[in-house]
Amino acid sequence: MSNLGQAIWVEFLKARRSKMPLFTTLGFAMLPLTGGFFMIILKDPDLAQRVGLISAKAQIAMGVADWQTYLGFLTQAIAIGGIVLFGFIGSWVFGREYSDHTVKDLLALPTSRSSIVLAKFVVIALWTTALTLMICLIALGVGAAIALPPTPPQIILRGMATLLIAFCLTIPLITPITFFASAGHGYLPPIGIMFLVIFLAQVIAIIGWGEYFPWSIPALYSRGAALGAISYVIVLLTSIIGIAGTILWWELADQTH
Amino acid sequence: MNPAIETDNLVKQYGDITAVDNLSLRVTPGEIYAFLGLNGAGKTTTIRMLLGMVKPTFGEARVLGKRIRVGEKKPWESVGYLVETADAYPELSVRENLEAMRRLRPGTEPKTVERVIERLRLTEYADRRAGTLSHGNAQRLGLAKALLHNPQLLILDEPANGLDPAGIVEIRNLLNELAHEQGVTVFMSSHILGEVSRLANRIGIIHQGRLLQELNVDELEQNRRQRLVIRTRDPQAARSLLISAGFAAEMKADGAIEVRDISAIENPDDIATRLVNAGHAPTMLNVEQEDLEHYFLRLVGMEERDVK
Repeated sequence: MSNLGQAIWVEFLKARRSKMPLFTTLGFAMLPLTGGFFMIILKDPDLAQRVGLISAKAQIAMGVADWQTYLGFLTQAIAIGGIVLFGFIGSWVFGREYSDHTVKDLLALPTSRSSIVLAKFVVIALWTTALTLMICLIALGVGAAIALPPTPPQIILRGMATLLIAFCLTIPLITPITFFASAGHGYLPPIGIMFLVIFLAQVIAIIGWGEYFPWSIPALYSRGAALGAISYVIVLLTSIIGIAGTILWWELADQTH
Repeated sequence: MNPAIETDNLVKQYGDITAVDNLSLRVTPGEIYAFLGLNGAGKTTTIRMLLGMVKPTFGEARVLGKRIRVGEKKPWESVGYLVETADAYPELSVRENLEAMRRLRPGTEPKTVERVIERLRLTEYADRRAGTLSHGNAQRLGLAKALLHNPQLLILDEPANGLDPAGIVEIRNLLNELAHEQGVTVFMSSHILGEVSRLANRIGIIHQGRLLQELNVDELEQNRRQRLVIRTRDPQAARSLLISAGFAAEMKADGAIEVRDISAIENPDDIATRLVNAGHAPTMLNVEQEDLEHYFLRLVGMEERDVK
């Protein structure tokens, strides 16, 4: 793979100089903070009464205020919301080249187009991993700050591990979205596709076929559903198809933008 | 010597539309070849095919002796290019944009960034974000990216786009210097014949996807029509006199008489004598060469009235 290291350096430079890292950090930071807010409501019945409907909904959705519930909430947020948040990052990393009309400068270089596409995937993977680790750290801080009931470290570690596995199941599913950012020449087509798959994921999960629909699988996992090996294979295949499709698009399709 | 660019019956179709139709070109190393055409003539599609961005429907292209096709080894380490508008990453500075491009061209030394900044007179803007540059300076940045690695071949789509008159002269001098002193081949597109006639060795004129004519700059001079323009106090009477003498005199909208007969163009003094003897002494008599704009429009089958 020609000049992959330098291509990664360039992609990091582009990401670092944009406002996207700031926006995504703020966006992702909302997850543990919102979870912490719900925990405060669940912990304090008087406050729950004062806020009325919000506390009632929080109780229905989340149960009791403890580490297990808190980390479970974050895992579900990553599994469902992650497709949107990670999808935005993927859409931006690929779609911006079309929106800024800079893609043409990447197509006839000694650095292969495949290297440039892979560099983009590396940056997306590291960027989203950093955000997920940030969520874990903020969650530890928020949990300690709001004094969630003490729990054995194993419970916290298991909760964190589940969250990271949910992340590992979610992140591969954005590769088809990056294909649509390339083939659709910008941000809007992949974002449309993203909302479509999230809608389909809900419907398909409701009718009981969720374990076979890639974008339903992380959410099912985060809810503790027993998934067969086929679900993991489906996620892996979806990821491979997304990466291969994006590379093939860059290599073979007519590039007229 | 292998041509720097060679296309063989290149065709590009988009559905029913033929953007480029049987285009066969040969660009010799070291020459400046101008590819001239109106907007939508097929210039950019041709350039994209030369750069491997668009696949030809039929035919093939060779750049620096290498066939441009999927799976073939590409010559991009020796090619610099600017396609359509000069775009850059808006949040990166001029220097960072060039540094990014340098890293994607392995073997290009770090000092080339500063050198090209200086050469394109971008020093003042080197640390400014590209998104804040004027159109002219953005164009300079686009050209700097193309020149960064000292390419053997430059493929430039409308390189003077957005530049002020001083910038146009500067880029013209730069391209001349590259071609004549360093042997760089320049293939540039334009829609302004006057602009390229001062720079190019050879001009290819494309219209509706077809190559209408290829000519050297000296042929351009020969091919342009000449006319004799006459003004008199009584143009109608003077025109009648010339017609009766066997000249195809035409009355123009501004009251001038235009004669295209070779004998009149070569002997304007005879025309003057005839007019004076008939009592219609000319107030103005001038042999004019067809300007480049009219020549170009005539070549592509459009007269001035068609573009009004």
